[in-house]
Amino acid sequence: MEMGRDLALLAPELTLAAAAMLMIVAEMFRAARLVLAIGLAGLAAATLLTLPMLSVDATVFGGTYRIDLISGWAKLILLPGTALSLLLVRAEITGRPREGSVQSLVVLVTLGALMLSGAGDMMVVVIGVVLTGLGSFALVAWPRDDAATEAAMKYLVFGAVTGSVMIYGLTFWFGGTGSTLFSELGQLQGQTLVTIAGLIAIIVGLGYKGSLVPFHFWAPDAYQGAPVSIAAYLSVITKAAAFFAFAQVLRDLPRDGGWPLALAVIAAATMTYGYLAALVQTNLVRLIAYSSVAQSGYFLMGVVALGASGFAVPGILVFAAAYVAMNLGAFAVVLLAGRDLGDLEGFGRTRPWLGAAMVVFLLSLTGIPPLFGFVGKFYLLSAAVEAGYLWLAIIGVLNSVLALGVYLRLMVPMYRTSSTEHPSEVGAVLTQGTVVVTVLATLLIGLAAGILPGP
Amino acid sequence: MPLLTIATFLPILAGLALMALPDRSTKKAHTVSIAATGAVFLITLGIWARGIVAGDFAQVEEIAWIPAIGAAYRLGVDGLSLPLVLLTSLLFLLSALYSARIGERAASYVVLMLMLETASLGTFMALDGLLFYVFFEVSLVGMYFMIAGWGYEERQRAALMFFLYTLVGSLPLLLAIIGLYLGSGTFDMRVWVEGTTLGGLPAMLALIAMLVTFAVKIPAFPVHTWLPAAHVQAPTAGSVILAGVMLKFGTYGLMRFAYQMTPEAFAQAGQVILAFGVVSALYGAFAALAQSDLKKMIAYTSVNHMGYVVMGVAIAALATEPRIRTIALDGATLQMVSHGLVTGALFFLVGMLQDRAHTRGIGDFGGLLGRVPWLGWAFILSAFASLGLPGLAHFPAEFQIFLATLNGMPWGLIAILAIVVTAALYLRAIAGVFLGEMNDKWADMPDLDRREKLVVLPLLVLTVLIGVAPGWLIDMIHTTMTGLGN
Repeated sequence: MEMGRDLALLAPELTLAAAAMLMIVAEMFRAARLVLAIGLAGLAAATLLTLPMLSVDATVFGGTYRIDLISGWAKLILLPGTALSLLLVRAEITGRPREGSVQSLVVLVTLGALMLSGAGDMMVVVIGVVLTGLGSFALVAWPRDDAATEAAMKYLVFGAVTGSVMIYGLTFWFGGTGSTLFSELGQLQGQTLVTIAGLIAIIVGLGYKGSLVPFHFWAPDAYQGAPVSIAAYLSVITKAAAFFAFAQVLRDLPRDGGWPLALAVIAAATMTYGYLAALVQTNLVRLIAYSSVAQSGYFLMGVVALGASGFAVPGILVFAAAYVAMNLGAFAVVLLAGRDLGDLEGFGRTRPWLGAAMVVFLLSLTGIPPLFGFVGKFYLLSAAVEAGYLWLAIIGVLNSVLALGVYLRLMVPMYRTSSTEHPSEVGAVLTQGTVVVTVLATLLIGLAAGILPGP
Repeated sequence: MPLLTIATFLPILAGLALMALPDRSTKKAHTVSIAATGAVFLITLGIWARGIVAGDFAQVEEIAWIPAIGAAYRLGVDGLSLPLVLLTSLLFLLSALYSARIGERAASYVVLMLMLETASLGTFMALDGLLFYVFFEVSLVGMYFMIAGWGYEERQRAALMFFLYTLVGSLPLLLAIIGLYLGSGTFDMRVWVEGTTLGGLPAMLALIAMLVTFAVKIPAFPVHTWLPAAHVQAPTAGSVILAGVMLKFGTYGLMRFAYQMTPEAFAQAGQVILAFGVVSALYGAFAALAQSDLKKMIAYTSVNHMGYVVMGVAIAALATEPRIRTIALDGATLQMVSHGLVTGALFFLVGMLQDRAHTRGIGDFGGLLGRVPWLGWAFILSAFASLGLPGLAHFPAEFQIFLATLNGMPWGLIAILAIVVTAALYLRAIAGVFLGEMNDKWADMPDLDRREKLVVLPLLVLTVLIGVAPGWLIDMIHTTMTGLGN
């Protein structure tokens, strides 16, 4: 009876896992189209299965996995985001060897991302980190050239070290509470040293996934080495999952341990460093990589406010949804325009619709209302102010100005007259479809913010 | 009928419809533009006919937007916003008429203009803090692309400076809005304007944040430096909208947000704000005196005129007598409208001069009055209005502001010196451009054509009308301001 209930609640995850297995089987027959079709169908089915469960607040398997607001919305955000990523992958590497393997790995990594988003137990977090990590390394290494191999190697070493630190540190929490469940973390009240040890572990392990400064070094290299579509995927799905996991872990931790302040400092450093580094990049992928690092700082503002503001969890969820739409969209345009800043020269004039879409993504990333990104940032800023971190909100606001500087470096050349040709490429239809979906989301969901979770 | 909503969104819908058309020729674009702005103007006349009420917002339109956080789509008008709404719709209509000669990427230009109109009307009519901020920022983006796309030689730099400056400026307002929201649990500005949401230190912090935002927008000394650059590079219609409409966001915000929402903090800081107003008025006048470029000169007189508005609001906060407050607020509001009409006309005329001569240096002209009497007399009339001549639009406004200053803070009257300086600079400009020796280079300069007369005449007529018989406008403003004075 108990088992049956648990499995029913896990229907979306199980559907996705089954789809991933079928994809691998289909890949054995080198049927790339079939792999894609199974993947998309699995993602769609899992999304639909999630819809009726949004208001559920339960745990399964002895409290180790949570079916709640965070994990519910995480599925609604990550699953469609993954579907769009699959389309981009298809558009970019169609017909190349092992295309189906890439597709199956993407879905497996998303499964890991779901584990992270619903984690109620230390071991589930570890499994999630490992599952997302292993798949990602392989995805980055896929092109098999020097750049990709080097990037994947760095990514792997970084992941292995941070993962070990995390597992080691988590043992302190286990020692302090006698349980691996996060819901027992309240018992740490008063055990400052133990709290800090475990906290460092979580910050290192998830901070690496979420590319927080100073654990972000792998990100620009990995994004640059990987295919653009994989960079797009990693920059949104695994990152958003890291912050969902942060929310799951830290919402049970007593706030008197000093962790909000420590995270606030990291948040400020991350957004400032990310934008400053982005200001000097000339490679578009690296530029967006650094801007994604900066966006992690905004995510973290919501984490800082966990337990102190009703805006914290909705802020993380809404910003994640916005971020997935606008960052995927921006990467999709890069896929069409080219990897270098110079490739954007005149892009807005020769391809007016795509240019306008790019402007929408960039303004949304800056946080200009009424776009989706603004709503997310607004929630996060409100959360920080309500939690008593006015200074962090001010730094967040000031960084929006740096952000504008970064994104204007893309927008201004787009409307210069230039002789650069911008021909339509193979697979352009799928990419353009992704742009359309993401631009509509960026434009319209902000206006319909009432449908999103609120405080 | 939700006239406010229709007026606000008709322009952007017309713009979207234009984008969807398969044929986006220049002619069609301008037809859409004139038709849409004309219709909006008529609708705002309808809003005016419906009238306002004392002590509250009228014609409120409300729909739930984000119920979880108490944000809703709320529009309404009162005696502060309605005059500005009418000014906005008029200036956009005239700008559309004037811009009909623009051929370069006309469709995009028109779409941007229409987007700006939606943003401007929305900014004045929004009764929801979040919605206000949305419109406020959208206007910024629109103006950036307008300057960057259709301005003169140095437009990229000017546009960038404008965007960065005003974005930096507007972000503190976001924090103030968050503060007001956390203090009240709603974004309803009707709750906020009761002035009891915040008190003590939070109110002062919110006030400082709002003052930064609106000082940049007004613009007040010392954060005015973006204005001359933006104006000089902006296309003519862009300048008209920037000066005539968008500067009023600053003064409107000063009254609606700073003065109404944090009244006690505003009164405490009143002397400082007054000082900024006085310095802006003086600085703007002297800086304008030093310009040889007509457009830059007019841009600096905006700093001067907006300084008077700041003075008026500060006096209202400092004054103890309700009668004085009302006079100061009446004057400040009227000054916004007068400035929009007069400076709008001046920028149009300088633009028409530049269309003919491709230069704006005072020294490049001479004796044009005989050659282009329409242009010349229109400029002279507007210049006289701008320097505050009795019988023209600025006089009743500035008179009330100075009257209140005299009764409240007499030291502020040193700003009157600025009127003398403005008189000098306008006389110098008129003498340099329209009187004296005729420069042969311009011997075959054509006078205003029918379309250009149609653009300028309404502004001139209103300038005289408000100067001679301001009652119809002041009565509307007064209805609301008597409530604010108490």
